[in-house]
Amino acid sequence: MVFLFIALPLVVAGILPLVGKVSKKFLPDLLANAVFIVLLVLVFFEGRGIAGQEAAVRELSWLGEPLNIRLLLDGFSLFMLFAVALVGFAISLFSIDYMDHYGSKANFYALFLVMIAGMNGLLLVTDLFQIYVFLEVAAVASYALVAFGLGHDELEASFKYLMLSAVASAFLLAGIVLIFGVTGALDFESVSQGLAALDSRFLVGLCAAFFILGFGLKAALVPFHAWLPDAHPSAPAPISAALSGLLIKVSGVYALTRVFLNVFGLTPALSTVLMYLGIISMVVAALLALGQTDIKRMLAYSSISQVGYIVLGIGLGTPLGILGGLFHLFNHALAKSLLFLNSGSLQMATGTRKLDEMGGLGKRMPVTSVTTLVGSLSIAGVPPLNGFWSKLIIIVALIQAGRWAFALIAVLASVLTLWYYLLIQRKAFFGKLNEKWASVREAPFWMTVSTVLLALLCIATGIFFAGTVNSWVRPAADAVVKGLQTALGSLGF
Amino acid sequence: MIIEIALLCGLVVFSAAAIIFRDLLRSAICLAVASLLLGIIFFRMKAPYIGAFEISVVAGLITVLFIVTIALTKTGGDVRESKAAAWIFPLFFVVFLVLDFFVMRGLIGKIPALGAAPEEGGFGDVLWKARTFDLVGQIGVIFAGVLAVLALFRKRDKDE
Repeated sequence: MVFLFIALPLVVAGILPLVGKVSKKFLPDLLANAVFIVLLVLVFFEGRGIAGQEAAVRELSWLGEPLNIRLLLDGFSLFMLFAVALVGFAISLFSIDYMDHYGSKANFYALFLVMIAGMNGLLLVTDLFQIYVFLEVAAVASYALVAFGLGHDELEASFKYLMLSAVASAFLLAGIVLIFGVTGALDFESVSQGLAALDSRFLVGLCAAFFILGFGLKAALVPFHAWLPDAHPSAPAPISAALSGLLIKVSGVYALTRVFLNVFGLTPALSTVLMYLGIISMVVAALLALGQTDIKRMLAYSSISQVGYIVLGIGLGTPLGILGGLFHLFNHALAKSLLFLNSGSLQMATGTRKLDEMGGLGKRMPVTSVTTLVGSLSIAGVPPLNGFWSKLIIIVALIQAGRWAFALIAVLASVLTLWYYLLIQRKAFFGKLNEKWASVREAPFWMTVSTVLLALLCIATGIFFAGTVNSWVRPAADAVVKGLQTALGSLGF
Repeated sequence: MIIEIALLCGLVVFSAAAIIFRDLLRSAICLAVASLLLGIIFFRMKAPYIGAFEISVVAGLITVLFIVTIALTKTGGDVRESKAAAWIFPLFFVVFLVLDFFVMRGLIGKIPALGAAPEEGGFGDVLWKARTFDLVGQIGVIFAGVLAVLALFRKRDKDE
């Protein structure tokens, strides 16, 4: 059943271009959304299946013959699969109305599902080379999705994204090759044991540096962020939401966490590097966001800043820090997807992304205005929304660890975040209605349903945060903290 | 050792030339030569399977596809090469050599010699048995590539 997380989106992606010949809109919409509903059901089904276990390694067989495909399902991968399925479903719902004017909807969904299959594959792999392979699956699909609009800006952004992503892949591959050379293994457990027995701190440091560069580029941490503010705004809104809400987290943060905390082991030096990368990203990107006039560009910089929070929490390495980092990852996936989708609603209604040209749209688009406010306040960390709790946990973890300066900067960066989100709210929705927008209407039905769903999830996760943390986030954090050594060792893997 | 260094230098030269040339035909030929050199390097490093794939698929098949596509789509007329190509490339090469010299001098002695991984059977065993999951990923990459071509070279419908 676990293999369905990869196989189902891939198979449906293969069918969709053919289905698109028969039905241009209805069947592609139906199939794509059905895939996400099935994935959500699978997450709950598998979650029940591994309840109480630290990890489960599923070996695939075909007609009784083993296929040598091993998939790792632990609290961390399940948590991420849940986030991908949930946010993916909201994006898919939004695309029903939004992608109509782009045309070739079946191909759009097919590419989107391949990207989802790549991400799901990455979340289930058990060795380093498979990380690289599935990173590429998701990345190749995402290059095409960024350029889907076929405009000059889209193509340029896609090319820039492709180039920098290729650099990231090259660094990752170099790191994997070196590790394979010295340990003779690729699976997490053997590599972990091999590195521990290796008497060359320099070589381990070099591999770690390659991985930091590679995953840093994928996660768009400052100073490896140059591609993101071009790529994310240029893509169609649902894809901006998928890239910011999911892809940078799966191919950047998840892979980085899995490799550094479960394979390399988090050394004090590595922890310090990650924390500094996190704090620099948090502050620099927040300052850069303040100067933006394009709403999607502002949101893109905000993504870099919030990934900084996540990496800061995880890099701290304490159980509470990891818990806070992972919870913020989930909350940011919900809220940033919501905000990017709403920016798409605004762009569709007004034809512009320039905040200075908007104004007073709250009167014409009340639902979009309210849901944007929910997403903004959530990311800014205003109680009782979900972002508040995750930021609070990260800050408490920093204080507990005696990192007062980091905690203070995190609080100040949160104030900056609130500032630029209020700017969006003021310039786009509040004030006098710009006469140009007198005929603007609320977003179409499915777009509204999708954003309302995400806004309600932001509110519900905030109000019932203890339940979310205990059922989804804590098992994920436990899996990261305990590491694969104990979890997989007990399974004889 | 001298042959290896010459092959690696040739690889860098032709890879850089493939990027610098504006004429797509020249660029494709430089890429093919770079792949050929890489294939020879693989053979000399006792990796005949990957060497054979590199030469037959990348240097051979893909180059043919590139050249056919260029021949079918070229509008005619020579492309004027950028003047920058005349000086950027030698400069790039010298900078690369200097950096390489210093980096490698720093690394030699600090990195243990990389031993070969234990043999896990023949090529077929490794591909079909040990690395089966990679093939699933490969299918995903091929899917993504095909779908990307379908999406990016699509014709707009009349009603769009």
